[in-house]
Amino acid sequence: MHPATAIEQLPAAALFAESISKSFMSGHQRTQVLDGLTLSIDAGELTLISGPSGCGKSTLLAILSGLQKVDSGRVQALGSELGQLDLRALERFRLQHTGFVFQGFNLFPALSAFEQVELPLNHMGLSRNEARRRAQQSLEEVGLAHRMRLRPSELSGGEKQRVAIARALAKEPELLFADEPTSALDAANGQMIIDILHRIARTHGTTVLCVSHDPRLVVHADRVLAMEDGRILSDQRPDTSDNGTPS
Amino acid sequence: MVALARKTLIYEWRRFLPAMLAVGFAGLLQLLQIALVLGIFGSTSLYITGSSADVWVGYPGTQSVGSGRNIDADVESRILMDPAIQRVEPYIWVDGDWRGPRDTGGVSVFVSGIDPRPDGLMFSKALPADLRARLAEPDAVVVDRSALDQLGVDIGQTATINGHQVRVVGVSSGLRALGGVNVLCSLDTARQLDEDPADIGPTYLVAKLHDPSQANAVAVRLRGSKAFGPYTTWSAKDFAQISVRYWLFDTGAGAGVLFLAGIVFLVGAVITSQTLIAAVNGSMREYATLNALGVGVGALRKVVLEQAFWVGALGLLGAGLLGIVLMLLARSQDVPVSLNIRAVLACIILVMGLAAVSGLAAMRSMRRADPATLLR
Repeated sequence: MHPATAIEQLPAAALFAESISKSFMSGHQRTQVLDGLTLSIDAGELTLISGPSGCGKSTLLAILSGLQKVDSGRVQALGSELGQLDLRALERFRLQHTGFVFQGFNLFPALSAFEQVELPLNHMGLSRNEARRRAQQSLEEVGLAHRMRLRPSELSGGEKQRVAIARALAKEPELLFADEPTSALDAANGQMIIDILHRIARTHGTTVLCVSHDPRLVVHADRVLAMEDGRILSDQRPDTSDNGTPS
Repeated sequence: MVALARKTLIYEWRRFLPAMLAVGFAGLLQLLQIALVLGIFGSTSLYITGSSADVWVGYPGTQSVGSGRNIDADVESRILMDPAIQRVEPYIWVDGDWRGPRDTGGVSVFVSGIDPRPDGLMFSKALPADLRARLAEPDAVVVDRSALDQLGVDIGQTATINGHQVRVVGVSSGLRALGGVNVLCSLDTARQLDEDPADIGPTYLVAKLHDPSQANAVAVRLRGSKAFGPYTTWSAKDFAQISVRYWLFDTGAGAGVLFLAGIVFLVGAVITSQTLIAAVNGSMREYATLNALGVGVGALRKVVLEQAFWVGALGLLGAGLLGIVLMLLARSQDVPVSLNIRAVLACIILVMGLAAVSGLAAMRSMRRADPATLLR
């Protein structure tokens, strides 16, 4: 029996997915990306989903973060049934509770690092001062206090990704989703990003769900889920050498 | 609030420049077209705008100054009975056939018979005092300087109108007409030139009021009496508008202008919207990221609309500056151009409407800012 399918919903679970399926049509070909997957992600942990490309890990991230709907099954995030929220409510949920870091940094060329971080905060209904305080604080936290007046064209790849992380972090989200955050970076910068994500989970109690095939991330994760063909093959906790047993 | 729309517009101005140029040139084309039309067709009301009469009296149903019919001369006494009237003078319009000393064939002329006294109302703003005085001589006429070649005549030479001899005693400027040549003479000369024995009274009576601001009220008050044969009254402003409108709309010229305006709008909107859509697509991943972070699609669309607004405003500014230069150039070359507040407002509305339509089109492409696409 598959280890992940036996998981029961725990009170501490920040994310919970039950028997979710998702398929895509490409031409006349239907591809089953996720097939009856059940999964629970604990709060305040850095969870890594790894697997070969096309295994469905990015789709799983999109579904757990409320960016995509499931074909069947249900998804609960912070106690909310995502399937029952309409588009506006999903946007509101993401605004209040989630942060995202993507493989591409997706920064506006015209804005300084500080403004990139401040922009989403403007839409959260924060006061101008509070938004600026938070932007300042998160840029300091990712080590960019001295670079925050610069535009993306003046920043290195690693610095851009740190701005992207600060942009997500400044919202003070309970859930932080990261999709291949290190794959466009060299070893040193990749390591720095990994450290920051790890620290965020530790110090802020943020539930960090990271999708990556980067092996360097494994040692930093609280839990590593290996995926293949739309299903979870293994569920490991490297720190506690808790191999393969359902939590 | 981070001014995303404006900062992007400034930082990536090259990307938005084609849209601004498209908007600007559409506005400029529209503006100059209206200025030319108003300049050309404005000459059809020269008889009214170049004179200092406040109220015009003419045959009921007259559609333009050039298409008046004679009214009974006794109407003058009825008009004079009104206490608001300061003075009244007749104005005679005669359509004539001009034969000049040089071979020109027949030239269609509009003869204006006016009171040549120094304080005469007709053409008081268009005709210099010395020329007006010379019209008192029998058979004396004045024409526009630009019409001399067309009439095949020089100052001092004689010609015939409707077979009657006249002498050109001087030339003036600003008397150009549309569809013919204006010829000014005294009332007495004009009566001699009129071939139709049925034409007894003047074509119009023009009146000056003690208080020019009462023109509308007096015009309304003087209407309706039938005791002296058919006539009606207009304030000078109304009659000028009726004349211009007749030429604009009843001759098809106005329809042409509107048609061209539509084409300019369409072409401008296509270019502008395509440029804006390309600019939006260029930032699609960033917009999608903001949406993933929970910034609503509505707020993102507002950014695009704001950009469209600035594109329109900056295009308009450019069109305005260039338009002023071109208008001055046209004036210096005697090209008839003229603008009024209403025409300028129409241009502004059209250009901003164009920008708005383009913004809405670009907003539609925002639907592709689906954050799920960032995860593949």
